[in-house]
Amino acid sequence: MKTIVCIKQVPSTNEVRLDPVTSTIIRDGRLSVTNPYDTFSIELAIQIKEKLGGEVIGLSMGIPETERLLRDAMSRGVDRSILLSDRAFAGADTLATAYTLSLGVKTIGAYNLILCGKMAIDGDTGQIGPELAEYLKIPHVTDVKEVLEVNEERVICKKITDKGHQILEVKLPALLTLLKDINLPRLPSILGIRQSLDAPFVLKRAEEVRADTSKIGLIGSPTQVLKTYVPKNSSEAIELKGSQTKVVNAIKDIIGEVN
Amino acid sequence: MVSKLNISEEYSEYLKDESRVIGTAESISFPKNEAEVIKIMKEMCKTSTQVTIQGARTGISAGAVPFGGHIMNLSKMDNVLGMRKDKNGIYNITVQPGVILSNLRERISKRRFNTTVWDDASKKDFIIFCNDQEHFFAPDPTEASATIGGMVACNASGARSYKYGSTRDHISAIRVVLSSGDVISLKRGQTLANGRKSTLITDAGRYLELELPKYIMPKAKNTSAYYVSDNMDMIDLFIGADGTLGIISEIELKLLPLPQYIWGVTTFFNDRDKAIQFVCEARESIKSIASIEYFDGNALDILRRQRKSNPGFARIPHLPEKMSEAVFVELHSLTEDLNLKNTFELQNIMDSLDVQENRSWVARNDVDRDLLYFFRHAVPESVNMLIDGFKKENPSLAKLGTDMSVPNNKLKEIIDIYNEKLAESGLKSATWGHIGDNHLHVNILPMNASEYEQGKELYMSWAETVVKYGGAISAEHGVGKLKVDLLKVMYGDQSIIEMKELKKQLDPKELLGVGTLFAQGDR
Repeated sequence: MKTIVCIKQVPSTNEVRLDPVTSTIIRDGRLSVTNPYDTFSIELAIQIKEKLGGEVIGLSMGIPETERLLRDAMSRGVDRSILLSDRAFAGADTLATAYTLSLGVKTIGAYNLILCGKMAIDGDTGQIGPELAEYLKIPHVTDVKEVLEVNEERVICKKITDKGHQILEVKLPALLTLLKDINLPRLPSILGIRQSLDAPFVLKRAEEVRADTSKIGLIGSPTQVLKTYVPKNSSEAIELKGSQTKVVNAIKDIIGEVN
Repeated sequence: MVSKLNISEEYSEYLKDESRVIGTAESISFPKNEAEVIKIMKEMCKTSTQVTIQGARTGISAGAVPFGGHIMNLSKMDNVLGMRKDKNGIYNITVQPGVILSNLRERISKRRFNTTVWDDASKKDFIIFCNDQEHFFAPDPTEASATIGGMVACNASGARSYKYGSTRDHISAIRVVLSSGDVISLKRGQTLANGRKSTLITDAGRYLELELPKYIMPKAKNTSAYYVSDNMDMIDLFIGADGTLGIISEIELKLLPLPQYIWGVTTFFNDRDKAIQFVCEARESIKSIASIEYFDGNALDILRRQRKSNPGFARIPHLPEKMSEAVFVELHSLTEDLNLKNTFELQNIMDSLDVQENRSWVARNDVDRDLLYFFRHAVPESVNMLIDGFKKENPSLAKLGTDMSVPNNKLKEIIDIYNEKLAESGLKSATWGHIGDNHLHVNILPMNASEYEQGKELYMSWAETVVKYGGAISAEHGVGKLKVDLLKVMYGDQSIIEMKELKKQLDPKELLGVGTLFAQGDR
């Protein structure tokens, strides 16, 4: 059983702190962390390996520093990792990222399962998993809450939908995106950390994965982020005066606005 | 400002604290500033009404439980008053005593303070602070909902006191309102005793000549009654005085630069002697350890059961079966490489001790660290829940938790004694705590009244042994009202008389904290 886990590096906090005088963002120098949703993918992949044998491969696109997080995944039980890192990948939107990741998957050869977190907590798009599956022309299931059965041929999983859940049987190779709390990610041991320092890790540049330069990075991205800002979160109290009917109508109006 | 107390109604919760001792009182006040404290105290002094000072009532030695009279609750004095960067580049924050530790930590970490009432110098230093590296307030009692005033009153410590010392070491100035309403302002380094004599001058210019007790404090971690030593800094007398000498109305505390790399390493053992040996060797060979904590097999079993039965504890990591001891080591370093080196050194020590199964957890990021802190916090919480269960059957029962410390060379001996005596008695127990400071909390869990009495006898016998070993009967919780007898064992009757004399010099009518440190009516 060969499972690929997609791992993204995200900021350790999603809280933005502004300088009280200049109103510029204060970078607190805290280290980046593994996208929390991806930690559940890592754990599930390791559990599957423990049950069926085989290999777990970590895959990421990011800056060279992402190696630290891939080694962290390896300290928990991921066997080897591939980091796609190149200046040409910078500025990629989800489509360009998914394309790049698909090239990384292709360097691995045959595989059974790809696991992604439902989304990354910095971008919140939830698009990478499905887009990657489409590039690879494999089936995918999003919002998986539980894996009921898995072997090298198929997986039976529970997908949460707006109205309830579906139990789906999917032929492998396939891609699943996982909801949070699907499992309890394990902590690495000291021995795991020691092993991770020498565990197989490769960094691949754009040309090594034969990337089509028109499909990667900023150039390959049909969407662009124009502006990032902290949403204003305000609450105010309004005093309602007048007759009961008037007040009730006023409340109805306010609730109506919210709806 | 002062309300008459109707204990059956809204104020009944103020008659108790986390010790679960329930007291009595006739009135209560919630002053908002020092001026109000002075006004109330003068009124109480005039009518000779005794006063018990409270913060968040998270103490477990009943220091905040009133034994009659008036309750002065300082929880509404919760403003941060200013910030000062001193000539050594250290940031100091001035707070009112009712500021809650967890809130303060959050404000420091997010650098979010309401600075509208701060003076210009404070505002200027705050801007420098915002652009500086991250800082933190080091004392870390397990209960983060404690108030800073409460922490100062009992000189709280916690796991990290192994590296950073207790609250005392992080206080640079205080203001104290005496029972007469006089105020004393003390800055560290400015008012030193002469041998065992000292003169304090109140803000109004009144001179107070003090004769300090003669006892020698143990070399082990200690917060048992008054801190006294030759030529001491007089600020230290009021820190850890359990609210018996004055009301701390303002506190200036020191912040330290936050270490960039904080890792937690939990190692598991199935042999107690090896766990103790591991602690001793780690202490010797690794300098950047911030804390070393221990959990015995009973504590781990309680957690295993909680994890299965209580959804609130489901996120405790799966505990390796058969493992009967766990040791948690926190490493604080400026570089990742140093933490890595020290983590591997811990493994080397385990290897040299021939620990059979190599089980460990390493937390290197916030998420994993929170999990280990949750694990650590879940132990006392689970034990308290167990006790609450027993109490439903038998309301007179209480947890008997020790807070004793010994010098380094007596660690193994005292743990052996605890375990021998517990095995002989057949009493249920769970032990955990700050093994790095040779300071374990042995918790006896009595099921009935006779076991409770048996437990109390054991507790007293341990106190005698600990004192013989040169240790302290209270290392971090304070003597409060529950360890008055143990204090006598530790210092002897003559020292208690000297302590009382000292108290009378500052609180002549003996109004403050009646029943704390000294038995009630024992004037």
